[in-house]
Amino acid sequence: MQRYFPRTFHALDDIFAFTGHFYECEAVPASIRNAIDLSVEELFTNMVKYNSRSPQAIRITLKSLNKCVEVSLTDFDAERFDSTAASPVDVEAPIDARAPGGLGLHLVRRMVDSLDYEYSNGQSRITFRKRME
Amino acid sequence: MFDISLGDEGEVLVAGRLDASQADRAQRFLDQIPALRVLDMRQLEYISSAGLGVLLKTQKRLMAAGGGLKLINVNRHISEVFRYSGFDKLFEVTALDDRAGDL
Repeated sequence: MQRYFPRTFHALDDIFAFTGHFYECEAVPASIRNAIDLSVEELFTNMVKYNSRSPQAIRITLKSLNKCVEVSLTDFDAERFDSTAASPVDVEAPIDARAPGGLGLHLVRRMVDSLDYEYSNGQSRITFRKRME
Repeated sequence: MFDISLGDEGEVLVAGRLDASQADRAQRFLDQIPALRVLDMRQLEYISSAGLGVLLKTQKRLMAAGGGLKLINVNRHISEVFRYSGFDKLFEVTALDDRAGDL
């Protein structure tokens, strides 16, 4: 299942309607749906933020594989930038040392079972998998 | 969808999904409440890092004034997000079913 979404945070409602439809069609367990949605949101909003000049839509592909869900987000007309390689966040730091931001990718890494970045011909693709419990 | 409102006892009620498209709206609402104490998350299904940023900014403001925010009725998904982000140590958090061990 595949759709293109405009690169704006306001596309999130449509994105979640898209994932919701996929979950129903593929009987994805309720226990993992929020984790998948969160990972999609964090990766999508990163693409919007870090390639803000591009007018291209972002493609989201959802697949049900053997006992897991695979999600890919593809950003066209992009420079190579592996957002999955961001520095770790110190979640033990006291509140004075914490700044808003930087937690998105940290959460994705904790929520999914694999996370991969590919770059080819001006296209960035991030793919993650989440096991169905 | 997301909704934020003031309860009868001065608490703030949040409902739906607090994602990146709603974070600014949530922040504007919370910024108007100088001495906020309780955020009731009973109806909140989902939170992303954008929502965490709203909570963090609010908590910093309140603590600078000698206060602090209590997050109550937090569901399992949001409890997990709080645990992964370390927010369970930055806030007083109570789970939806009132079993602290679920955090």
